[in-house]
Amino acid sequence: MPKILIPTPLRQFADKKDAVEVSGSTVGEALGALTAAYPDMKKNLFNDEGKLRSFVNVYVNDEDIRFLEKDKTAVADSDTISIVPSIAGGR
Amino acid sequence: MIKIEQEAWDLMVAHAQKTYPNECCGAMLGPIDGDVKTVRVALPLENAYPGAQRERYELRPEDLLFAEREARKNGMDLIGIFHSHPDCDAYFSKTDLENSCPWYSFVVLSIQKGQFHHANSWLPNMEQTEAAKEELEHPNA
Repeated sequence: MPKILIPTPLRQFADKKDAVEVSGSTVGEALGALTAAYPDMKKNLFNDEGKLRSFVNVYVNDEDIRFLEKDKTAVADSDTISIVPSIAGGR
Repeated sequence: MIKIEQEAWDLMVAHAQKTYPNECCGAMLGPIDGDVKTVRVALPLENAYPGAQRERYELRPEDLLFAEREARKNGMDLIGIFHSHPDCDAYFSKTDLENSCPWYSFVVLSIQKGQFHHANSWLPNMEQTEAAKEELEHPNA
């Protein structure tokens, strides 16, 4: 099963696990399985419309899914999904 | 609260002063024990903002992916992000807030005339509408 690496601040919503194996053949299915297993994770990742929050990037191995097929990006059992924040700013 | 250890702090201040008058940015790694986050390692990262960097910074997601991997490799956590405000105070601006991520601590270093002046740490909320000041302990406090 593909593995999702959980960022430190979100582990409190995933029984303190740093990685979770989930079923799913696409990124969307895998994230759906994650939030189904750990519902408190959902509001951190998705907004009220069910879209990924603006500060959330998702990588499959070393690839940003925005440059692949977004939530339809295929994942295999050996793949690792990373949740990476999007951060900028200025005075 | 967030505590920054000497070695990490020296690196953060040196990075901020070196990039002056532009804004700098980087990641902070270390252990989290209950409510206490200890920054043991600072990772200076490149400001990838394509425009005027005196007033803006941007982190590449792949650099944050690298920071997260470094933390895991060393049995630490990615605690937060630091950046500098050249010639202005260490507040959390509207731009900072709107481009933040509520999962992390955001340490802002005020650099005045090229030298460290003061610093604050901020915790943005989920909707990125406000940020609370976090208790910050560092060697220059």
